[in-house]
Amino acid sequence: MLVLRRRIGEAIAIGEDIEIEVMEISRTRVKLGIHAPRQLRVNRLEAAAIAAENRQASAMISHQGASGVAEMLALLRKVSGTPA
Amino acid sequence: MTGLTQLSSVAGAITEVHLLRSPWLGDIEWSLSAELSFPSGLPGFQEERRILPVEIPAQRPLVYLQSLTSPDVCFISLPVLVVNPEFELCLSEDDIFALKLPEGKSPVLGEDVLCLAMLVPVEGTVHANLGAPVVINLHCGTGAQCILIPEPRPGRFVLKEHGWEATC
Repeated sequence: MLVLRRRIGEAIAIGEDIEIEVMEISRTRVKLGIHAPRQLRVNRLEAAAIAAENRQASAMISHQGASGVAEMLALLRKVSGTPA
Repeated sequence: MTGLTQLSSVAGAITEVHLLRSPWLGDIEWSLSAELSFPSGLPGFQEERRILPVEIPAQRPLVYLQSLTSPDVCFISLPVLVVNPEFELCLSEDDIFALKLPEGKSPVLGEDVLCLAMLVPVEGTVHANLGAPVVINLHCGTGAQCILIPEPRPGRFVLKEHGWEATC
């Protein structure tokens, strides 16, 4: 892993199109500004796991179909005590 | 502003009605005031920036999050307090900014924000991840899926016969 030390206002370049600037540093956090081509996805690393979950979540309605949703609803109602 | 669109009672109450043909929910009539804006989309669905929250009265408390740009993209969610009544929302500065919420004030669930847990099918049951709720600013209709750091404990729940059970 490449390790670089930078101060506020300084930046690093990745290739020719990407610049990452250190905007603010607090005791526990660093605020970064990222210039990158619009088509490039820039996300927090944790978002990758959530993206995978979201793809599963979007499949739920097609996966379960109306009967699956109805079953889930029945279970939810039983659990929450909500009348049907 | 943002009310949930109800499939059964839309026409007549609003002036300009649009129609969306959802393969899952059927024909949905909706007004611009009900549309939510997700400026960054959702993780894995960055292009889905226009979302319609749909509530079917007979299926409460489920809330469908139907994409207005891709009719086949639809999520099923539940208000987080249905899953865990003790849930507390703690947003990062970035999320507060993205949601156009005032700084220095904790948003109140149900008053300032609607907070929904996305439901994920896993091995014949359903999981809800409260560590990454969909948060909607009720004052302006801006939404984002917020990855809470640190993750709330418990943050993940599975639907069992006896209720929601924390898995971690």
